Amino acid sequence: MNKDDHISEEQLNAFVDGELDSEEKTQLFGAAEQSAELDQRLCQQRKLKELVKHAYRDVPEPGRRLTKHRTPNSMLGMAIAASMLLFLGITTGLLIPRVFDQDPNPGGLASTTNPQAIAAMENYILHVVSGDPAQMKRALQQAKELLSTAEPGKPRQVEVVANEQGLDLLRSDVTPFAEEISALASEQVIFYACSRAIERLEEKGVEVKLVPQAVPGYTALDRVVERLQDDWQYVKI
Amino acid sequence: MAYKKLFGISQRRAFKRLVVNNRERLYRMAYAWTSDPHLADDLVQQTLLKALSNQKQLREFAAAEGWLFRILANCLTDYRRAKREFLSGDNLEIVDKTTPEHQAGEQQLVQKVREAVQKLPINHCQVITLVDLEEFSYASVAQILDIPVGTVMSRLCRGRRALRDHLTDIKPREMPRPAVNIKRVK
Repeated sequence: MNKDDHISEEQLNAFVDGELDSEEKTQLFGAAEQSAELDQRLCQQRKLKELVKHAYRDVPEPGRRLTKHRTPNSMLGMAIAASMLLFLGITTGLLIPRVFDQDPNPGGLASTTNPQAIAAMENYILHVVSGDPAQMKRALQQAKELLSTAEPGKPRQVEVVANEQGLDLLRSDVTPFAEEISALASEQVIFYACSRAIERLEEKGVEVKLVPQAVPGYTALDRVVERLQDDWQYVKI
Repeated sequence: MAYKKLFGISQRRAFKRLVVNNRERLYRMAYAWTSDPHLADDLVQQTLLKALSNQKQLREFAAAEGWLFRILANCLTDYRRAKREFLSGDNLEIVDKTTPEHQAGEQQLVQKVREAVQKLPINHCQVITLVDLEEFSYASVAQILDIPVGTVMSRLCRGRRALRDHLTDIKPREMPRPAVNIKRVK
């Protein structure tokens, strides 16, 4: 490997990307010592790699925009949500660790019909992504079931977060489940409308009106991650 | 290893931590692929939510990082398919154009490189950024993008060649400054 033209571009790339073994590296170093041109090619490849790294070292922040008031009661909704959380936090004595290894996939929901399994679970965040009314109904039924199967004296916290097409669940002019949402909210289920999903619809010129019980201001991911860090169960529907 | 054994409570917590901790890396990659902060953020949200709801698919915890980037790549593919957009090419607009004057030179270089990266076909762009920004091995990139290692190498080759052509006018003074602030060298 003494001549420059014996070294392919793939080999040079593999060298700068750390893909060569020790023997191959030694060979290439030796060849570069004998060829100024090869040495220059190596430098160029390294420079290119460094340039790309450098260009993306600091990338712009996502720049999330705050959602506007979309319901006359959105601030009230936030206040209600906060007071519910406070109340539940007090009554449940903070958070109880999970002891049941539940499948978070929708298919795993069937396991929650097992009363023993349900009794062992604690707080839940249900994530609705589908605009299919049957799936929305399933989510609401699931929320209701979770409330009804909580152990006496240990109220279970349930939240529903809706994004993508699932946001329709919480849009007052679209949802077929306004009454069910209202009933569940009165049982302290909190409904979150993903701020990102709202933005996306508004960008398309859709005026988003939420049911009064919906709490805007969070992205679905932020809410889910927050709850996972609190050791809640996550169920995607 | 059985799923339940793999994802005992402590492992599940570790998994969640992994997901949360990788958010920034995924965002940087998504931004490199799209040049759109909002779209990149959307893709990362989709990626992490998919990861959380499909953690059963993950067989080896050690492979989790590559798995997250694979979901990200799939989310971008889905997005492009849905939108039928071609993000790379001459019609691409680099969104990040706010540059303080005192950083003009530095930003000019960064912009130039980003534009060059974004002019690449997306499959070349993905390979280059996975290798250069995240230091993934060729084998890992092959797994993430579900392509053979040979394809990774050839895309890398063609991509870097094109990048070099786009960036030939970069003068030495525009290069990142010599490492006067180096604190540690491997």
